[in-house]
Amino acid sequence: MTQVSISHLTKSFGAAPVVDDLSLTIDHGEFVSLLGPSGCGKTTTLRMIAGFEIANSGTIAFDGVDVSPVPAEKRDIGMVFQNYALFPHMTVGQNLAFGLEMRKVAPAEIAQRTARVLDMVQLGGFAERYPAQLSGGQQQRVALARALVIEPRILLLDEPLANLDAKLREEMRGFIRDLQKRVGITTVYVTHDQAEALSMSDRVVVMFGGRIAQQGAPDAIYDRPASRQVAGFVGQVNILEGMVSGSDGGRAVVRLPQGEITVPAASVPAAGSKAAIAMRPEAVALGAAGEPGWAGTVVSRQYGGNLVDYKVELAGGSTVHVQCLSATPVAPGTAVTVRPDQSRLWLLGA
Amino acid sequence: MVARRPSLAPLLLALPAAIVLIVFLAIPYANIVMMSVRSPGNGTPYGPGFSLAAYIKFFSDGFYLLQVANTLWIGALVTLCALVIGFPVAWQLGRGKTKLRGIYYAIVLAPLLVGIVIRSYGWTVLLGNNGVINRSLREWGLIESPLPLMYNGLGIVIALTHVLLPFMVLPIMGAIQGIDPSLENAARSLGAGRWTVLRRILLPLSMPGIQTGCILVFVLAISAYVTPALIGGLRVKTMAVTIVDALIDTFQWPFGSALALILSVIGALCVVAFARATRMRWKVAS
Amino acid sequence: MSGRILTGYCLLVYAFLLAPIFVVVAASFNAGNFLTFPPQGLSLRWYVVFFENEVFMRAIRTSLWVAAVTMVISTAIGTAVAIFQVRYAGRAKEAVRVAMLAPLLLPEVLTAIALLFFFYAIGLGTRTMAGMIIGHVVITLPFVFMNVSAAMESFDPAYELAARSLGADRWTRFTRIMLPLIKPGVIGGALFAFIISFDTFTISFLLKGIGTSTLPIQLFDYLRTNFTPEAAAVSSVSIAMTVLAVLFIEKGLGLKVHRF
Repeated sequence: MTQVSISHLTKSFGAAPVVDDLSLTIDHGEFVSLLGPSGCGKTTTLRMIAGFEIANSGTIAFDGVDVSPVPAEKRDIGMVFQNYALFPHMTVGQNLAFGLEMRKVAPAEIAQRTARVLDMVQLGGFAERYPAQLSGGQQQRVALARALVIEPRILLLDEPLANLDAKLREEMRGFIRDLQKRVGITTVYVTHDQAEALSMSDRVVVMFGGRIAQQGAPDAIYDRPASRQVAGFVGQVNILEGMVSGSDGGRAVVRLPQGEITVPAASVPAAGSKAAIAMRPEAVALGAAGEPGWAGTVVSRQYGGNLVDYKVELAGGSTVHVQCLSATPVAPGTAVTVRPDQSRLWLLGA
Repeated sequence: MVARRPSLAPLLLALPAAIVLIVFLAIPYANIVMMSVRSPGNGTPYGPGFSLAAYIKFFSDGFYLLQVANTLWIGALVTLCALVIGFPVAWQLGRGKTKLRGIYYAIVLAPLLVGIVIRSYGWTVLLGNNGVINRSLREWGLIESPLPLMYNGLGIVIALTHVLLPFMVLPIMGAIQGIDPSLENAARSLGAGRWTVLRRILLPLSMPGIQTGCILVFVLAISAYVTPALIGGLRVKTMAVTIVDALIDTFQWPFGSALALILSVIGALCVVAFARATRMRWKVAS
Repeated sequence: MSGRILTGYCLLVYAFLLAPIFVVVAASFNAGNFLTFPPQGLSLRWYVVFFENEVFMRAIRTSLWVAAVTMVISTAIGTAVAIFQVRYAGRAKEAVRVAMLAPLLLPEVLTAIALLFFFYAIGLGTRTMAGMIIGHVVITLPFVFMNVSAAMESFDPAYELAARSLGADRWTRFTRIMLPLIKPGVIGGALFAFIISFDTFTISFLLKGIGTSTLPIQLFDYLRTNFTPEAAAVSSVSIAMTVLAVLFIEKGLGLKVHRF
């Protein structure tokens, strides 16, 4: 197992920096996701860890040893590519054996290790097939096996599930996660899909514009996003603009057009400063008109199977999304009340 | 961090080709210009000094000017024939859903894979006074004396059209294949009939291919040597034949060079004029 | 209806394309003394004459030898520069492509003349076959280049990155990943070079060494003075050789492609 420490890493193509003074430590055996929109620098960061791109400045160290001068082929990494990059002219077995041959492993051991890893990804008996004869999910698992069979120090995955259909993608999340825990390998996973990052990682690193916007455990990222940008990218969020009117212990009192509300806050801004309340659509409950809460009218309803999304226009003018379990449907035009769960609100700076 | 410099090794990959193209193409072409202003030799290919004798000889003799005009005329006719004959074929190959497409494609490519001497020879067998066509027509009693199909411009045009047809068909086919089929459907949905779709959508969109094909065929036609030499015989000579004669038979290298340069310049001017006349303001999105 | 007219028209064009090739092959089986079509009786006598004609046999050997040497040189140079163009040329990519296609776009007769003067000027002259082979390399290079660069374009660079991540050095990546995957393009380019070199006339005609006539030159000389069906037999054998080469391409490549 290996610890990766990245410090002050910067990379630019042309004038604009793609990765901008990025520092990050990934612990032994930790599963870290780099999450962000395309162009945020997550893939470039991964390629620099792999050694495919050379940083303009900053260092990358494996267990404290700077690997900057080490070329990709000597870094002892396992990498899974978005399109798998399985060698089309080699069988599954030959694909797996390739990395071991590069390491001058004896043929008998190659056969044994290849077979063991193929079993691990549930593809025992597929060694003689060519990649083109496999389904997308099988190819994905071969790519994983090929990266793991060399017993690398670090496993790097670049959007490995992007080319699979929705159902398979969900299955593979659990599969990869389990495999990673079993092998115990330090893993960096690049994705733009927040559900993947949240469901698989020990730690999620959200990136925007080449910088880390926030990092932390999946629930911390989801429940307490550090900024509007993070909140908007990781899940849906309702934001209501208002003004701080006072404090109540460790909580801020915020005046909204709909009324006052108290919100947990690490540091309460001065009274009179602008602030906003953020809440997830599922942290808001819908009630019949006249019940306590903010009055509003259902504007639209979007059915999603187990869940239903309502768009509600509040009396004060703003609109909130409410997500609840499918029950008796509420028709658009109906007068309702909206009641936020006070423990799941958070305060955003102006 | 130690930044590794990008290695210069990849340039080694391009080095041999660069040497071949510079030493054996660029320098020799530049050398033609030099050769054309050498003084004529006496028993040698060229003399010791420099002179404009070759150019004076060309422009003072109407025979050569007439031959240039004749060569360009043949080139233009061949280009037109190849376009008219080739477009429907390119269309069928680019758009057709026939199962025989592979075979048709092979037929279009086949002439390219048979040496030019052999193909020209085939045309002498067909077009000669005792050739297949004249013989058949005589046997059927349609003609008394053989039609003059060979040893004239007509024979050269027929044979050159055949020889160069693939160079017209392939670029047009490429252009037609590059046209998004949904454009045709879009035009149909807007009420255009088959003919309108062809005229207003496919023809304009295949213009880049038509342009490339025309330029290729024209350039190759005016510089063709083997076909005019075999079909034209000694009676009809194109510039390329005269040039090679001047170099090989009569050993007048400066004059041959001047002729080659003049033909190239005039040919290039024709190509530029054609490209300007058929210039397109839109670009093919790639 | 219009579809049928188009098909009919195209069939006529295909007949036009095949006609001269067909008559040459048919005429080669003529039993008579003169070239006639349809043949006056079938016979292989002109093939016998051809095979006993030492001049033609020497020309065939020369042609095969020149084509083989040209193919080897052209394939090596063309493959290298195609890899460079697709992978490393960067912004110069289009310029490299145009430069590599130049020999194809320039009139062959002009290239031949240019090389003739050049070899004379540097004293190489036409006493050896070197000049002719260089000329053949120049005109076949674009064909190797086009084939290999097309193969390189469809070669996903991720394969090489994957090999790197698995520990393969530059040479291993070239021999075990890139070369096997672009092999169809290399073989196609090589055989193209062979066929073009085997069939080309003008450049050989102007650059041939003394006593080193290739088959097309010998045939051309023969046709200027003779009209016996022996020329048809020579042509048919030459066509057959090309067809064999093409079948070899198809079969060789077909097998590889199926295995992917």
